[in-house]
Amino acid sequence: MNQLSLEERLRLHGVSRRGFLKFCAATASLMALSPAMIPRIAAALENAKRPSVIWLSFQECTGCTESITRSHSPSLESLIFDAISLDYHHTLQVASGDAAEHAREQAMKDNWGKYILVVDGSIPLGNKGFSTIAGISNVDMLIETAKGAAAIVAVGSCAAFGGLPKANPNPTGAVSIDMIIKDKPIINVPGCPPIPVVMTGVLAHFLTFGTLPELDHLKRPKAFYGQNIHDRCYRRPFYERGQFAETFDDEGAKKGWCLFKLGCKGPTTYNACATTKWNGGVSFPIESGHGCLGCSEPNFWDAGSFYAPLSTPIGHVAQNAGYALAAGALAGAAIGFANKQKSSQAIEKHEEITVNDLIKGETK
Amino acid sequence: MSAPTLQKGLNAFAEQIDAPIASFFSSCVHCGMCADACLFYTETGNPKYTPIHKLEPLRRFWKQEYTLMGRLKKALGLSKAISDEELEEWKELLYNSCTLCGRCSMVCPVGNDLAYMIRKTREGMAASGHAPIDLVGASNRSVTIGSPMGVRLPALQAQSRKAAKETGLDIPFDQVGAEYLILLSSMEIMNYPEYLQAIAKIFKQAGKTWTLASDAFEATNSGIQIGVSDIARELVSRVVNAAEKLQVKTVISPECGHAYTAIRWDAPNLMGRKLGFKVRHILEVLEDFRQSGLLKTEGLEESKITFHDPCQIARRGGVIDEPRHLLNLVSNNFVEMNDHGKMNWCCGAGGGVSANEEAHEIKIKVFNRKVTQLKELKVDTLVTACANCRIQLEEGLEEYQIDLPVVGLTEMIAEHLVETK
Repeated sequence: MNQLSLEERLRLHGVSRRGFLKFCAATASLMALSPAMIPRIAAALENAKRPSVIWLSFQECTGCTESITRSHSPSLESLIFDAISLDYHHTLQVASGDAAEHAREQAMKDNWGKYILVVDGSIPLGNKGFSTIAGISNVDMLIETAKGAAAIVAVGSCAAFGGLPKANPNPTGAVSIDMIIKDKPIINVPGCPPIPVVMTGVLAHFLTFGTLPELDHLKRPKAFYGQNIHDRCYRRPFYERGQFAETFDDEGAKKGWCLFKLGCKGPTTYNACATTKWNGGVSFPIESGHGCLGCSEPNFWDAGSFYAPLSTPIGHVAQNAGYALAAGALAGAAIGFANKQKSSQAIEKHEEITVNDLIKGETK
Repeated sequence: MSAPTLQKGLNAFAEQIDAPIASFFSSCVHCGMCADACLFYTETGNPKYTPIHKLEPLRRFWKQEYTLMGRLKKALGLSKAISDEELEEWKELLYNSCTLCGRCSMVCPVGNDLAYMIRKTREGMAASGHAPIDLVGASNRSVTIGSPMGVRLPALQAQSRKAAKETGLDIPFDQVGAEYLILLSSMEIMNYPEYLQAIAKIFKQAGKTWTLASDAFEATNSGIQIGVSDIARELVSRVVNAAEKLQVKTVISPECGHAYTAIRWDAPNLMGRKLGFKVRHILEVLEDFRQSGLLKTEGLEESKITFHDPCQIARRGGVIDEPRHLLNLVSNNFVEMNDHGKMNWCCGAGGGVSANEEAHEIKIKVFNRKVTQLKELKVDTLVTACANCRIQLEEGLEEYQIDLPVVGLTEMIAEHLVETK
């Protein structure tokens, strides 16, 4: 099986050449590549041998795995996953116990320096014992497995930014992958969960070019995370006209007006939801009537209420303002008192001015 | 007695800086709207006449002495100290080209009373010896002679005898227990004796008792104009003492703008106490008479007339409806000029400008604003209620070669009184 190329494999699954090229074209356009790249993607994918993929899950909810497996079958995305050699994934693999860990060690040994490491979940540094697999702590397993990886894909907000486990007060001392691994190329594919096609797109890019796609300052592929939801949202015209839903059941909500006032985080969230959508392009949260939570942004869990408009300040504004007011009032009173003293002293120093005291050098 | 010095001037600034001034300077947003409200700017186009710019010395002093950043900068030598040269340079801005008309205060979007601050800045200017020489002279005459124009009691007595002869009515002096004390401005005594005759006729018809005070007939106050509260207090106390000695119920400010401001608004603050009498402008008293049916007139003016609102009476004093009611009593062809009432444009000579020869050229130049207003209307008669405005209007119209009679409202009313036997 491992010797078959991707195209041969797709044929076995009944995917026509036409369907395959369609996928290549879709991948190229999704990633904002030139149409001239389509044949190259096709050629690369046709000849790609199944790369070995090791998938490690740490402090996570399995939602990322769910997202990928729930992509519509038989979707091309799922076939692509068929086309890789997923050698270790403790949720999906059949093997268990010693055999499971054996599979990981074997894959590492056979593909040293070439395998792709996919990680979902954050790593607890508070106490190694908070999360272990087969008696190995998450941090030890990550460091060991990362050593032979060609690249690491941090899937989901937990792996990319720490996610929900890292949310205040972060009881486990959770951190993201790039806080631990500094010497390997890392691609962050954040989202809670990320869009399946974004994961497959990143893998397709890697297979085609042998390099990582262009990344932004948060190590996210620009092709998918280059624009914010708000700029591509189909409700944007209502925002421009100032037409907002005020509650979830008012006229505005029924008419599909902008959800900004209901806490939509679209304007500050960089992701592809508004363009690629979810569930095979059916819909995305805003289209379903709920504002964006900003789940693919760092620390989204601690960025104030999901239902507070972005313009609402976060933190203890009233309390802090109270302290600032008290301090300001005290300082103001002190300065005011000093200034009043200054004017009073000037009044004490006042010498009466008569009509004879108005011309210089002519004092009588 | 001591010579004016920079130190005294700065001390006067410190005396004047109060909470309103601190909040005004703090809240200025540098929008420049006050420039377009000032006729010295609109008629010259020179940005140095922007009202807030005229306050630069006081603003810098406040900044350097009353704010944390200003004090730091001053300590580090980063801001220039206020010098005699600078104050001398600002003299023309604070005296020659500001009539304290207060139009800038009206337009300020953050509510800064610029006229209030200019009045206060003049305290420092005078104390440091930077007041215009003519205002010093006027103040000197006011204190020593009793009138800025040097009018003495015998001159008033002569005019009174003339008025008595013209009207056949008694001109009472020093009547204890009279209801009203009439004040006059020197300008009215010397240039507009009709005013005194009108008063005699109107009060006779109304059946009210009134009197002049031989030791306090002058209503104007040079101390207010030059910006020396000590002198202003000395002058206003003469009126207050006379009124209380004669036990009058009401003191009537004449047709003079700043005289009204002085006795109506500044007097209680200068004296530091409540006054034992009411203060009213003559137009307010006439309107009271009209409402009580004590003002019986006949006949209407034939000419088309308009009214020039004196700044201190309309804008700063709130006497706006009264002159209109009175005008409509004697005219059915009264028209308003643009920006009338509280936003009227100043004649260009108030606040000490008319007494200041250095300001002669610019006061005629800015009169162009009034000329523009009048040209739009094409009226036959211009009525006003301030002797100072009146002299500027007459002089300005002459300079611009416009033939238009200027009349005081009180005397216009008097001419229409029903003759009573």
